[in-house]
Amino acid sequence: MKPYQYGLLFLAFLLLGYNSVYFEKLSDRQAGAEADFDYGAYADSLYYQGMLQEVAAVELATLLADIRNDADAAFKNYGNRLGIGNSAYFMVKGSGVITGITEDAIRLQAAGVGDVGINTRYIFGNALRDASGLVKLTDFKTNAEFNRVSEALNALVRTKVMPPLIDALETGDSIAVVGAVKLSKKALDDPALMITPAQIIPQ
Amino acid sequence: MINGLTVPVTFNILSNMKKSILYLIILLGLAACSSGGSGSEETKKVAVVISTLNNPWFVVLAESAAENARELGYEAKIFDSQNNPATESDNFENLIASGFDAILFNPTDADGSIVNIMKAKAAEVPVFCMDREVNADDAATSQILSDNYSGCVEIGIEFVKALDGRGKYVELLGLVGDNNTWARSGGFHSVVDEFPGLEMVAQQSADFDRNRAMEVMETILQAQPDIDAVFCGNDAMAMGAYQALQGAGKADAVKVFGFDGAADVIEKIGEGKIVATGMQYPKVMARTAAEYAHEYFNGRREFPQRVPVEVELVDAGNVDQYQE
Repeated sequence: MKPYQYGLLFLAFLLLGYNSVYFEKLSDRQAGAEADFDYGAYADSLYYQGMLQEVAAVELATLLADIRNDADAAFKNYGNRLGIGNSAYFMVKGSGVITGITEDAIRLQAAGVGDVGINTRYIFGNALRDASGLVKLTDFKTNAEFNRVSEALNALVRTKVMPPLIDALETGDSIAVVGAVKLSKKALDDPALMITPAQIIPQ
Repeated sequence: MINGLTVPVTFNILSNMKKSILYLIILLGLAACSSGGSGSEETKKVAVVISTLNNPWFVVLAESAAENARELGYEAKIFDSQNNPATESDNFENLIASGFDAILFNPTDADGSIVNIMKAKAAEVPVFCMDREVNADDAATSQILSDNYSGCVEIGIEFVKALDGRGKYVELLGLVGDNNTWARSGGFHSVVDEFPGLEMVAQQSADFDRNRAMEVMETILQAQPDIDAVFCGNDAMAMGAYQALQGAGKADAVKVFGFDGAADVIEKIGEGKIVATGMQYPKVMARTAAEYAHEYFNGRREFPQRVPVEVELVDAGNVDQYQE
């Protein structure tokens, strides 16, 4: 074999090798395997057709009074707990005056309740999905798929719905809020109320 | 004569009655023995098949499942799959051949374990998965699983707050074939990836193993000495990573986060050496799986396919509630 043939062979080997081996993050590879369903479109429909139109929220003051009266009954009537645990998610509504705005949250002096936080930075997890009660665990084949519904719903609320609403608010404004709150039966004496907002409506 | 006749007749009747009673007693005795024999044969046998007994967390899961099954009146035996799908497959074949009536199962692989469950299903042996999910919703009778995703979302939020949204970090993943690995990583990244000031400089599997995590962390620290935090997919790895950081003199500078709620990590959180973990409840999962098997034996056939069990965030603010 002539030297240039060795060279060609070496080049062909390099080309084949380059195209045969690639690197990607383990987490990206895992995510790629679940990428068929349009979670964005599903979340849009869940939010605009479901959450804003069909979901009945309980007045936060009513919920807290009912919990003081009979926590088990209040959790059963208003809460949604998937599986086994001490906590449940509730879709609540309330209104009041804004007492402060930080990077993380809006503080609200809510009528009949007192100080309540509205989470504006950490809109993550399953609070909105589960409080709405609109999606069943059995609607999706795996927990990973079920959780991607939350991610899409949170992304919609966090990046599209909330920013223009929050930007327009100032301390002293009156607002109404609808959103999810998580309460645990282990900490009902003086629960730190932090609402994950689905809607903020200037009054 | 009458009396003379009467006595033998009476005697004969009494004698026959005695014989009948004797036969009856013997028959009843035999029936009791027979019943006792078949009763012991009818004592249901529950197999507890665990991914590995080389991790204290899974030992608790296995022993709790077996103990609950025994308390419910069943024989129970623990099988160790040694994190090896082939061993798991052998375990399934053996226990099906040995006539076990139900399996409380902690799979080694989200995909690879499905075939084993299907073998049991074909043999009409119900399978109740504990802690680890398989990628099928028509194989196991029910799957009782930690809500890893939600737990790690909360850890992710804690992570962002602890680092004030800025810094370099490392992620130590568990077994790549286990759905829990990805549920935890997915929950964590669903939060952390939204903060561009946080840069993941290394992501590597340490197989949920403490020693392996220490080795992996030592290697990573050579290439990335200036990290601010480590997120570990379980507490065993968090302890391994912490050991490596201690060895490198960086334990005070690097924030460590785990997942499981293991006693040694809870202690470290109390001492301010580890930032947070997610408290899982293996005993709740084991008890639920054993009770489901019991209900199955009693005729129940409809079970929820997946039952998430809440994971609670443990940090410096509430660690006193979890310290024994």
